[in-house]
Amino acid sequence: MSAIRHIAVNVFRESVRDKVPYNLVLFALMLMGVSYLLGQLSAGQEIKIIKDLGLAAMSLFGSFIAVFIGIGLVSKEVERRSIYALLAKPISRRQLVMGKYLGLVLTLLVNIAVMTVAFYTVLGVMAWMDGSWFRPHWGASALDPALLKAIAMIGLQLMIVTAVALLFSTFSSPMLAAGLTFGLYIIGHFNADLKNFEAVVDSRPIAYLARAMYYLLPNLAPLDVKAQVVHGVHVPAGLLLFNTAYALVYIAALLVVATFIFARRDFK
Amino acid sequence: MTRNARALAFAMTLACLAIAATGLQMARDRAYAPGPTDNQLLYVSSGRMIEKIALSYDAILADAYWIRALQHYGREHLKTEGVKTYDLLYPLLDLTTTLDPQFVIAYRFGAPFLAESRPNGAGRSDLAIALLKKGIGRTPDKWDYYHDIGFIYYWHLHDYRQAAEWFKRGGDRPGAPWWLKTYAAVMLARGGDRQASRFMWQQLTQSESAWLRETSHRRLTQLDALDQIDELQRVSEGFTARAGRNARSWNELVTAGLLRGVPLDPTGTPYLLDAATGDVGLGRGSSLSPLPTEPAAAPEMAASAPPPVLR
Amino acid sequence: MLAIETDSLSKSFAVGFWRPRSYRALEGLTLAVEQGETFGFLGPNGAGKTTTLKLLMQLIYPTSGRAEVLGRPVGDVGVKRRIGYLPESPYFYDYLTAEELLSYFASLFGYAAADRRRRVSALLDEVGIAAERRLPLRKFSKGMLQRVGIAQAILNDPDVVFLDEPMSGLDPLGRREVRNLILRLRDRGCTVFFSSHVLADAEALCSRVAILAQGKLVATGRMSEIHAFQVRGWDLVVGGLSPDTLHKHAGRITKVARVAENQYALELPLNPTPDLLLTDLMTEGAYLISLNPLRETLEDYFVAQVQKQRPR
Repeated sequence: MSAIRHIAVNVFRESVRDKVPYNLVLFALMLMGVSYLLGQLSAGQEIKIIKDLGLAAMSLFGSFIAVFIGIGLVSKEVERRSIYALLAKPISRRQLVMGKYLGLVLTLLVNIAVMTVAFYTVLGVMAWMDGSWFRPHWGASALDPALLKAIAMIGLQLMIVTAVALLFSTFSSPMLAAGLTFGLYIIGHFNADLKNFEAVVDSRPIAYLARAMYYLLPNLAPLDVKAQVVHGVHVPAGLLLFNTAYALVYIAALLVVATFIFARRDFK
Repeated sequence: MTRNARALAFAMTLACLAIAATGLQMARDRAYAPGPTDNQLLYVSSGRMIEKIALSYDAILADAYWIRALQHYGREHLKTEGVKTYDLLYPLLDLTTTLDPQFVIAYRFGAPFLAESRPNGAGRSDLAIALLKKGIGRTPDKWDYYHDIGFIYYWHLHDYRQAAEWFKRGGDRPGAPWWLKTYAAVMLARGGDRQASRFMWQQLTQSESAWLRETSHRRLTQLDALDQIDELQRVSEGFTARAGRNARSWNELVTAGLLRGVPLDPTGTPYLLDAATGDVGLGRGSSLSPLPTEPAAAPEMAASAPPPVLR
Repeated sequence: MLAIETDSLSKSFAVGFWRPRSYRALEGLTLAVEQGETFGFLGPNGAGKTTTLKLLMQLIYPTSGRAEVLGRPVGDVGVKRRIGYLPESPYFYDYLTAEELLSYFASLFGYAAADRRRRVSALLDEVGIAAERRLPLRKFSKGMLQRVGIAQAILNDPDVVFLDEPMSGLDPLGRREVRNLILRLRDRGCTVFFSSHVLADAEALCSRVAILAQGKLVATGRMSEIHAFQVRGWDLVVGGLSPDTLHKHAGRITKVARVAENQYALELPLNPTPDLLLTDLMTEGAYLISLNPLRETLEDYFVAQVQKQRPR
């Protein structure tokens, strides 16, 4: 198990030194700054805009980070063959996959933490300049801790995306893996529509197929509670628990498949 | 573990996880309504913007938005508390038709949802007409759109001149059915006319939209009820004329030999006789309620008293 | 217990997308390497040497046959503790320093922190990159990377070391250093299994060799036993030789190539031994620059093998 830990720490160390995540985080921070300016322009809706933009930036840039690091850390390694020396060490291929994934998750969490701090800072500055922490038409206070719920769900989404990226990396080239991951990410957001196909489609087999796909493809839309949180609508703890359980189970499934593929493949 | 044993273990683990994930989703969906809050249904509220974003997937996105329009209607319709506003119906239909201007169903099935009076529809005839006009803009030769606009003017807005105008223009389109021009003539000649209404609703019972078919049948039943009410009104007035006072109940009329029994509307609910005014109306709790406000006769032709305006 | 043992080891790859054909990269390799041997695995490019090494490291899986290292099937995690591997043209992690990389790999063996530091320092000294220990690996030259590669291969004092083309890309100085390192490993009792397409490397180091061509084992044994590598002539380079002297002894010389003013490279037949001619030339004023035995090159040998095997 300590092998997994060491691999994870190394993954984290590598990604911290890689320029790409830095740029992305910087971008996200800049966006938050810009949102502050935008807020000034839109009479009365400043806080909402900052919240919307901030959460969206975290989600979007987080996904980019998840995909690029995720792909980089297996697919690129296989392509460049730096993985050969690693595989000769006394670790199993399974430990390698797990270690890589945990390292990626660690990187993600740190990035999200940084962005969260920036986010609350901007909100705090905004509210301070506005002179009040809460106005009725905002729906929720400026430093609403419920925002953390949305961020936590974003974190879960990103963990799923990372696992998907890792899975595709175990058997395809970096380019293809990136494309497939983004594809699944987009499908994941429209997944909810699949469930309602039955209402609109006449043929039963297609309806069943749509239902099956709804359950098997990653369903990212319910994990999106940004709108509710920004409008001050209560997000029940039960929903969060279900989402977390679903995410963990789904991630486990992805990792099981990734490990299986990785353990059997030839490294040409 | 041998290779085969390992493969089996993998397959079983995966199956268990898949079942667990599916089960969790089912449980979650059951406990908490799936789908984001309505504001999110739009993502982008401008049609032009989304055209750009959609790249070459306009048609699929149009389908997605159409499905959401239906869902939105359905959810609003089944709401048990709060006012049913159907707020997002027009924006969603607008998005659908911007993405896929040929999406005939979106126009023809969407407009009736918009025009239909509350609580079964949005009650926004103006938006319905705007939507249909957009359709005409893209496909000027589709007589159906003209017919639909004419119908809205006739039934919901009681504007016979406009209705006639649109029916006529529709009738001029290639492939239009013969009765469109007849509608136009009837509009101009007689204005609001139950026969004309009945004919138009009859046509709509052939619609491809199940919702429209049901609505048409319902409307026809309501027109039947109106006929019956007119008839009963005559009976009641006859009694009043002879007896010098209003009948107090149906039984009086039955005893007087004017009726065979307590009159029932087509759904089996007894009609209501108002002893104070002698007016006949729908029984309380009848599913036909509220009866439609019929288009009145055209002002120029209102030589006789207008037919009674019923609830 | 044998250090390395294979039995009819074979590997086929599917080549082509629509109608994949099978490409036999390795066919029926049967080898036995004793502990403590320095074993050369020779063959031209594309012979299947790297494939064999990857099979032994379980980077790829065999199509048939089996292989064992130190008595256990390849890929056994316990065995991996006692072996080291240098991949061909190694590439590591851009953002780590040499020190960090070695420390990371050391941690995978389970060494405690203090032990790790000690080993890493010693290794960096041994392979001669102590000065660059804090430099990120992306700044390393090919030669330096090769040294890092060797360092990580012997990190755990292995009993068996697998080196894939250890001399490739190195300048003469580098090659000499690697050669010396292999000799040191041999002195420590380590079994060294290395692949190369350069004959001279094998000559200097190996107790036994195996020769691979087009996926098949064509010869194995001591260098001296393998017929093809027997000396067939001599290459004598002398200076201070006047054309007249040259003409006088022309009968004893197979081929002449002029290198510079009065300097010639002479190809002599195997017998009589060249010292006789050399003495004669020296009495007439010439001086010796170099004398080397002439063998068939590996490439010549393989070409002959291929022609022998045609048509297939």
